[in-house]
Amino acid sequence: MEFFKPGLLIDFMRHRRVYMAISFTLVAASIAAIFYPGPNYGTDFLGGTEIQVAFGGAVSSNELRTTLTELGYEGADVVAVVEQENAYIIRTREFSAISEEQKDQIRANIETALGGVDGASVRRVRIPEGGDKVRIELTGDVDEAVLSQAIADAGVQVIRVARFGTASAHTYEAQLAGVATELLEGLRDRLGDRGPDTPDRIERVGPRAGAQLRDAAIKSLLYAIAFIMVYVAFRFDLRFAPGGVIAMAHDALITVGIYVLLQKEFNLTIIAALLTIVGYSINDTIVVYDRIRENLGRYRDKSLYDVINISTSQMLSRTIMTSGTTLLSVSAFFIWGTSVIRDISFALFIGILIGTYSSIYVAAPLTEWMDRRFFSKAKARARRARSKQRKKA
Amino acid sequence: MDRGWYFRFGLVLVALVGSWFVMWPTLHHNDWVSAPDWVLENVDHRITPGLDIQGGLRLMYTVDMEAAVEDRQRARAQQLLRRLGEKLDIVEEGEAPDEEQLSQIRARVNAQIGSADSRLIRLTFEDADDMAQLDRDLVTSFGDLREDSRGADNVSLVLQEESIDDLREVAVNQAQETIKNRIAELGISEANVRARDIDIIVEVPGADETQFDRIREIIGQTARLEFKIVDDGNTWLTEMQAQLPEGVTLLSEGVSAGESRPAVTSYYLFAEGSGDCPEGVEADAADGQCTAKTRLRGFVQSVEGQVPEGRSLALGRASTDEELQPDEEPDAWRTYLLYEQPPNGSDPVGGEHLEDARVGNDPQSGQPLVLFSMKPDGARLMQEMTGNNVKRRMAVVLDDEVASAPTIQSRIGASGQITLGGFRDYNSLLNEANDLVIVLRAGALPAPIIPQNEQLIGPTLGRDSVIRGAEGALIGICLVLLFMGIYYQVAGVVADVMVVLNLVFMLSIMAFFNNDLTLPGIAGIALTVGMAVDANVLITERMREELRMGKSARAAVDQGFRRAFWSIFDSQLTTFIAGVVLFQYGSPEIQGFAKTLMIGIITSLFTGVFCSKVMFDWLVRGLRIQRLRVG
Repeated sequence: MEFFKPGLLIDFMRHRRVYMAISFTLVAASIAAIFYPGPNYGTDFLGGTEIQVAFGGAVSSNELRTTLTELGYEGADVVAVVEQENAYIIRTREFSAISEEQKDQIRANIETALGGVDGASVRRVRIPEGGDKVRIELTGDVDEAVLSQAIADAGVQVIRVARFGTASAHTYEAQLAGVATELLEGLRDRLGDRGPDTPDRIERVGPRAGAQLRDAAIKSLLYAIAFIMVYVAFRFDLRFAPGGVIAMAHDALITVGIYVLLQKEFNLTIIAALLTIVGYSINDTIVVYDRIRENLGRYRDKSLYDVINISTSQMLSRTIMTSGTTLLSVSAFFIWGTSVIRDISFALFIGILIGTYSSIYVAAPLTEWMDRRFFSKAKARARRARSKQRKKA
Repeated sequence: MDRGWYFRFGLVLVALVGSWFVMWPTLHHNDWVSAPDWVLENVDHRITPGLDIQGGLRLMYTVDMEAAVEDRQRARAQQLLRRLGEKLDIVEEGEAPDEEQLSQIRARVNAQIGSADSRLIRLTFEDADDMAQLDRDLVTSFGDLREDSRGADNVSLVLQEESIDDLREVAVNQAQETIKNRIAELGISEANVRARDIDIIVEVPGADETQFDRIREIIGQTARLEFKIVDDGNTWLTEMQAQLPEGVTLLSEGVSAGESRPAVTSYYLFAEGSGDCPEGVEADAADGQCTAKTRLRGFVQSVEGQVPEGRSLALGRASTDEELQPDEEPDAWRTYLLYEQPPNGSDPVGGEHLEDARVGNDPQSGQPLVLFSMKPDGARLMQEMTGNNVKRRMAVVLDDEVASAPTIQSRIGASGQITLGGFRDYNSLLNEANDLVIVLRAGALPAPIIPQNEQLIGPTLGRDSVIRGAEGALIGICLVLLFMGIYYQVAGVVADVMVVLNLVFMLSIMAFFNNDLTLPGIAGIALTVGMAVDANVLITERMREELRMGKSARAAVDQGFRRAFWSIFDSQLTTFIAGVVLFQYGSPEIQGFAKTLMIGIITSLFTGVFCSKVMFDWLVRGLRIQRLRVG
């Protein structure tokens, strides 16, 4: 079975300016989209709390949103889970269970509460960044319940208050409930029987961790590009490297652009998919380059323009086969997979399509252009080829 | 068939048999293919489902370095004041200053600390003449201080940058150890605690929502360190002998219990290894029984009401005769009977009184020991407590667990040392000293940890997604195999065999390294299946071209492989580079993906280039096929 007749020669390079213009527009549009409307960053990057939970009865996402606003979680994001009835992903920007105002409130409440206790005044109240506990140092002893009440009055849920260290330290530590616990209990309170079940997934990311993740992701992408460029320059030729790398960036950018335009959530999974696309893109480009390099040696009297056409045509069957089979298995993941796998396979599907296109219509023409523009040796070669043709004519 | 072919074929066979053995335990544990006992005992390799697949809890904490550095600055400032007090003849050398002496010192020198970023300590002198006392010797004696600048009436010292690195390492170790101990306390044996830079990652497979809150709470607590006097020579435990459950034994040791009682018999309870669980306690050892600690604690709790007034029965690790691996800790526990309050009427001493602890060397024997120093108020309390209890044992208790119980040789003031008993080799003493320093510092300078990331994945969600993910993968692979077989015919069938082989090798390498199988990992497998197919496509297309040029089957196979090799190699290697970078800089999820990608590239090179050549050679040389049907 064969899709393409052997010896078939397609002039891929003829319309290269059209394709380059299309690619350029797409990349420009993608970059514009990154600025506006901007990626829909997930909790992974922004920090905050994300809960996936099924509800006991029918709850609409609107009702959920209003209830959450009433509970004080403004701007909470509610997304229905596709495969499950009455299940939602709730996303809030809150990471710490206590706000700045509540911190001040807690301090004030403790001062007031201690007004009625002899010999005990506040030495220091420390609330660490994560907002999961309060440490209270006093000058004398006090009943734990007093402190517990003082903190609870500030609207914070206390798990328990325990005495800490030796008696002479007069130190107490209060453990606070996390955002997720607080939010779920609030919802159970409001919705009664229709309230949330045990959550399927809770994710809480600190703002610092989010920034770290983003930096790590960007750093790994940039390093990957740099190392690959060095390898290509070393294995092939300097003029091959920029084309390959630009094609790679082209693929990653357009995939990001499509993601942003569809306003799909931008999270760690997508970064993994992007990295895969980068790998696939360079893989595909290298295979095409390899053939071009081989044919440059074989057809010494032909211009690079022609050699690219010959090589790409020879490789066409392989290119279609490889991307076809990969797309086939990726589609299977998309059709039968669940949320995370679906997200990855969607990104991969787009990426592989664009990656295949860019090896032929971006990397190769760019290399030819680089060659013409910066390597005069090739110019002479082209001239020779042309004069030969003229002689034949 | 030449000899080389048999050799290559043998290599493939060996790889296959090896893979089978490495995979066998994994297959066994999933009830697919049961393995005989000798395999399970000898092959210690397994693929475990990742947290996102089996469900569980993942917590990430960061050590608050800012707080740790500030603590160090504060401690050094206090020590400087005390040393200056000695030099200014306010305090006697080695003595702890009392309140009055402290205020005398403060009247002449004042210490301020800068922000953690600046690492500064500034000493301001009332009388500029006193500044001469702060000489080079004094500054360098701390080892981590250096003079930054000297003003008209003040001197600025700065913590050396290298010491911050040490501090970071110690703080991370300390936080990791503390968290490990806390989790062990909960009886969760399969929990995994590891450090990465200044992050500490805790993974508990299979945890649910209630455990989630409990674990968070336990980890979030600050460590509690106390010094308590051991009530040796108390015979109360002998009364308990009749009640002892099986596996808990009453033992005795000869120790010193005060200057007037240099040799008394002290009784303690001892348990070792796993055994039957106490009533109402869930099994926490691997074999469905309870660990020594759980068993011993169960009994101690049951007799809590009977412990003599003012005493408590605390647990601590015991030594054992069993031979152990270097990193293994014995499952042997014992009890100590402790005074709740120090006898002879002194005030209790705790972690907040301790200033610092470090490992030092005995100047005479050269053996490692633990050196610690007390804060000014703590030093007075320590003097009182130890002065009243010389030649008794003092237990170092962290979170209600006895870490060590050295004998008080003489009164301890501003600083003391703990010599580790036993005639053991240098390294084991050094390890124990390090452990004890961690315990002491955990109480004195609790390296504060800040929660960074918490993930709870419900087991149903994980199972659901893996089953559907696996279905997707299976269907996808089957479609590809079918299509390849139709399109490339004989070569397609060879490619199909190689894709399956590739999967087998990949999974067995993952099993060999005991890797987790996570969702991103599955995505990585899917991608490498695609790449394995690509290698075969490249080779087959080349063979087609060669055959079209009229070459014989044999020549076409040779040329196809030879020419396709470099394209395959170059393309796979560039992807491998991407994998290495991802592994180096990525988050754990990305690393899981990168790992499978790298393994897959290696195995697909092996199957695509090596194994498939063996199979083609067999077709064209062994079976002597003249017309190779490649579609």
